[in-house]
Amino acid sequence: MKEEKRKVYYLFSPFLRIFHWIMVLSIVVLFVTGILIAKPVTVVGIEPTFTSMSMDWVRNIHFIFAFLFCASFILRIYGFIVNKGDRLFPRVWEGHFYSETLDVALHYMLLKPSHAPFLRNPLARMSYAGLYAMVLVEILTGFAMYYMTEPSNIGGTLFGWVNVLLGNEMITHWVHHIVAWLIIVFAIGHVYMVLRADMMEAEGEASSMFSGVKFLEHTPKDANEVEPPIETK
Amino acid sequence: MEKRESLWDRCLHKGISRRNFIKGCVALTTLMGLSTDNLQKVVAAAEKKPLPVVIWIHGHECTGCDESFIRSASPLASDVVLSQIDLEYDHLLSAASGEPFEQHLETLIQKFKGQYILAVEGAACTKDNGVYCMSGGHTFTHTLRHAAENAAAVIAYGTCAVSGGIQAASPNPTGSSGVSHFTSSTPVVNVPGCPPIPEVMTGVVMHVALFGKVPPLDGQGRPKQFYGNRIHDTCYRRPFFDAGMFAENFDDAGSKGGWCLYKLGCRGPETYNSCGNLRWFQGMSYPIQSGAPCIGCSNANFWDSGKFSERLPKFGQPIGDVDKIGAAIAGVTAAGVVAHGAASVVQKKKRIAAEKAEKGAGEE
Repeated sequence: MKEEKRKVYYLFSPFLRIFHWIMVLSIVVLFVTGILIAKPVTVVGIEPTFTSMSMDWVRNIHFIFAFLFCASFILRIYGFIVNKGDRLFPRVWEGHFYSETLDVALHYMLLKPSHAPFLRNPLARMSYAGLYAMVLVEILTGFAMYYMTEPSNIGGTLFGWVNVLLGNEMITHWVHHIVAWLIIVFAIGHVYMVLRADMMEAEGEASSMFSGVKFLEHTPKDANEVEPPIETK
Repeated sequence: MEKRESLWDRCLHKGISRRNFIKGCVALTTLMGLSTDNLQKVVAAAEKKPLPVVIWIHGHECTGCDESFIRSASPLASDVVLSQIDLEYDHLLSAASGEPFEQHLETLIQKFKGQYILAVEGAACTKDNGVYCMSGGHTFTHTLRHAAENAAAVIAYGTCAVSGGIQAASPNPTGSSGVSHFTSSTPVVNVPGCPPIPEVMTGVVMHVALFGKVPPLDGQGRPKQFYGNRIHDTCYRRPFFDAGMFAENFDDAGSKGGWCLYKLGCRGPETYNSCGNLRWFQGMSYPIQSGAPCIGCSNANFWDSGKFSERLPKFGQPIGDVDKIGAAIAGVTAAGVVAHGAASVVQKKKRIAAEKAEKGAGEE
């Protein structure tokens, strides 16, 4: 094998990485429990006294993971503040963003053999912005349903407007449910794109979510957005 | 202006003892959903405040709210109407009275400007200048607007008056809506339900009558003491929900055993009302207790919110079963990425071959 000289870029802080894996776990648990809440499994043949996985528990697990997920955003925000590499918002205010997005898109459409090197490519960053938008919808609709057990408390006051906005609390359930499915569709695409990037470019896309670093042969286009590469021997 | 009687004055006339009057006040305090700490206030109001003049008008509706109202047991509807409020005008009760009574309405509005309570049942129909609902030569919206702007408070009884009800259901041919668009700056108490619970109806009018102001309201203008809880959270079948015991069909053993009706489309988790607490007709029963899933009759647009017997994933008619669609889209996505992955492998091989060829050409 030919020895390649690669630059090592430190991108993702531990805060973002921990947040990411909490999010993965939460989304899986929340999706499964959520489906069970919408379409419960009837406990048959067992006295309810002796069942350990009743509807009450399914709901409690859903709520616990929902709160855990929300709390983990503290890590995300802290990482965003302290580390440049965590700032993933697509730079739509910069002109070259659009031509670069087109470049990547053409490559994904299999029309171009490769795309320009990126630390974090503009199309991926767009999809993350989309994910955060979906997560925001889930949080708003989720709390709007959760806190309405006591509509006049602080939670009901903060989130009750969502139900009014959507016109009917049943619609809130519906939106929550549909967006949950969309997040799963995103996850399928996300996992695939990461594995594909590793296969095509071998720049440590998948391992970066564990180690925080990526290895690039050429200087990436967005190198100016992060710290300079780590010196290696 | 002649002196108007208070509740206490009327008790004196009837020879009701002070003791019984206080007892009545205690009952009134609880049925208004107040804590007993407020008894002093209730007694003071009942002694001094003149009985409130109530004007009760009807729009687009079935008068089912009145059917409910007359079944109020504590207090008895007859007591409310005859001794506790001054019901001066009512479309339904005075349907046969004709012109002189319409004159009486105008007199009342002028005489008790800013003092009377306006109770409204039924939706306001707006299409074609409101011609689809008229009485006494005026459109309902005209009467409503006129009566509401001079009222102390408006009580919107029933889902029709609150949000249009069945008249406003799709396609809403008469352009019906809730009455709150026609009440200018007069405070409105929304008492939704199809119909509202009898005791809730009497409780709200007594609250406004005694305290002269509207009860504490939630974000949708409903009195918190009656609409502050989900039916789901106050339902006596909730333990079956928590234990995962559901009726799957209307005729299965679970249904017979009184298990949770969630899977049969019960709207209890989205509906705010006192059915679980007060129940109906002196606590006799309520829909869920009689084996019928809640249809969410106190929710706006409940007629249009899907089949009554379906919840998620089949709720939301035009689209269908959300889970099936979601799984299909996820499946297509998975298949898509596999195909794309295969194509990418081919692409990479081509790229490497091209690079090699280029290199080979360079070396030669």
